[in-house]
Amino acid sequence: MSVSIRVNGVRKSYRDGERLVQVLNGVDLEVRAGEFVAVVGPSGCGKSTLLHLLGALDIPDSGTVEVGGQGLADLGPRRLAAFRNRTIGFVFQFQELLGDFSALENVMLPGRIAGKSTAWAEERARGLLDEVGLQDRLDHFPNQLSGGERQRVALCRALFMEPPLILADEPTGNLDPESGVQVFDLMLDLQERHGTTALVVTHNPELASRCGRLLSLEGGKLHAERR
Amino acid sequence: MSGVSLPLWIAIRYLKSSRRDAFITFLSLTAAGGIALGVAALILALAALSGFQAALKGEVLSRTPDIEVELPAGADAEAARREVDGVDGVRSAQIVVRGRGWLLARGRSRAVEMIGFGAELPALFPGATSRHPGLYLGDGLVSLWGMEPGDVVEVVSPVPTLTPVGPQPRVRRLPVVGSFAAGRAEQEDRLALPLSEASLLFGRSAVYRLLVDCSDLGTALEVAGKLPKVLPAGSTVRTWRDLNRVLFFALRLEKTLMFVAVFLIVVVAGMSLVSDLTLILASKRPEVGMLGAMGAAPSDLRRIFLWLGGLLVGLGALIGLVLGVGGAWLLDRYELLSLPSQVYFLDHVPFLVRARDVLSIVGTTVVLTFACSFYAAHRAASLWPVEALRR
Repeated sequence: MSVSIRVNGVRKSYRDGERLVQVLNGVDLEVRAGEFVAVVGPSGCGKSTLLHLLGALDIPDSGTVEVGGQGLADLGPRRLAAFRNRTIGFVFQFQELLGDFSALENVMLPGRIAGKSTAWAEERARGLLDEVGLQDRLDHFPNQLSGGERQRVALCRALFMEPPLILADEPTGNLDPESGVQVFDLMLDLQERHGTTALVVTHNPELASRCGRLLSLEGGKLHAERR
Repeated sequence: MSGVSLPLWIAIRYLKSSRRDAFITFLSLTAAGGIALGVAALILALAALSGFQAALKGEVLSRTPDIEVELPAGADAEAARREVDGVDGVRSAQIVVRGRGWLLARGRSRAVEMIGFGAELPALFPGATSRHPGLYLGDGLVSLWGMEPGDVVEVVSPVPTLTPVGPQPRVRRLPVVGSFAAGRAEQEDRLALPLSEASLLFGRSAVYRLLVDCSDLGTALEVAGKLPKVLPAGSTVRTWRDLNRVLFFALRLEKTLMFVAVFLIVVVAGMSLVSDLTLILASKRPEVGMLGAMGAAPSDLRRIFLWLGGLLVGLGALIGLVLGVGGAWLLDRYELLSLPSQVYFLDHVPFLVRARDVLSIVGTTVVLTFACSFYAAHRAASLWPVEALRR
């Protein structure tokens, strides 16, 4: 399952003390359902901000964001929460696994939030962890896992609700090159098998070049990159 | 954890997690310990007060008639007594005369309250050596002045009698028949003497009263309402409650003030809980943001911290309850806190745990401290995921 993304004239600024920093300056973007898009750009150019706006984690100053035809500005806090739960799977650079929960429990969390039964959630979480080769790490806590393993757990968690859209913010940024390549391979593989739309923000041009489409963010606007 | 809601599941994990974090552990223990200390201190303080007050009330009420009727001057006391005796709920009614005067013996004098009684010594003189008519003094005074039954003392009335040489004090020389348990110091200033002698001492100024004994204190309050119908006009009816109104008010006030003073411990514990939960929220901020990113609604995030506060409050209150009730039972059962019986009318501090007190202590503590959890819960619920996730 996958969804399309449509972004029109999105602007976003931050106040840095006295200074107003215009991060996004009229971003337009269309992503087709099932597409795998990479966004590259220098640090601080607003890649993560764009990702947060697409994921309904933040709201734009102006412009519209639609995911699967649903305008995010129309949703209240409760419906936004439900939207994030069912539509989007997030993968972050620092994984943000809950330190007091095992790998299995971390993967189950989106299901528990959605009100799924524990038995069902546990079975699905086991299946996903098995799929990424972590069947022997189910009861390990995040501090007992390597960086690559933690990111694989985060990937499973992102896919748990079978969301039609995966948003990944520097998923390999905190990993050694070997682990980074492994995790990216896994992402590509899972995206293909689960048929989801995916948008990845990365610094790594080599990994980005393996995605279906490559965009760069400069001067607050998106540009298509030639391969 | 399968049957546990998501917020409770996460709250339990955070509580267990905080045990691994030394500083948060210290703050959590301080908060729960403060609540436990406050609850235990409140239970013990109120139990000690209740114990004292119950003993004092018992002591006071044993020396107070259920109902006292003051008859108007010139009223037929015997006829009034018969009328009162016939009222439902009245066990007996006794005529007495009450007045003030002096007791003289062995060159010493003392101002006293004199109560003249008829056939039998009234119940407000407990522990008497006998109940027959005669002069009875407080046991402390008897001991202090070194008197024995049969010793003759002088009882003087302030009402003078007119003689050819002018007004003279009325004096009766009476043998001591026995003593009664005076209990508190002020009871030493009371003596009982035959009604006929009291009538002679006070003459026409004697005020006749009826001491009415009822089946119980509750009945006495009901009976008091019926008495004006059968008594002569101008009679004054006072129940045990009216006679001790000031004392009972003071006791209630004392308990309320004690509650407020000791409750400050719980207030401080509540503030400690606020800082503890705020610190836990600060240390779990990215996780709270991730929960929001995964679709946890603001109400779910609020409930996590309400549960966390609720668990700490519940734990503290439970420990305080066990310590307070257990401590009060031990202190009372083994009379561990002794008192000099020459000074107090008790030889140890009694502890009486009342269910009503315990309920109000635990209820007020839980409500106040739980309310303190709302601050952190509100902050968690109002966090935007993107703010929480920012490093």
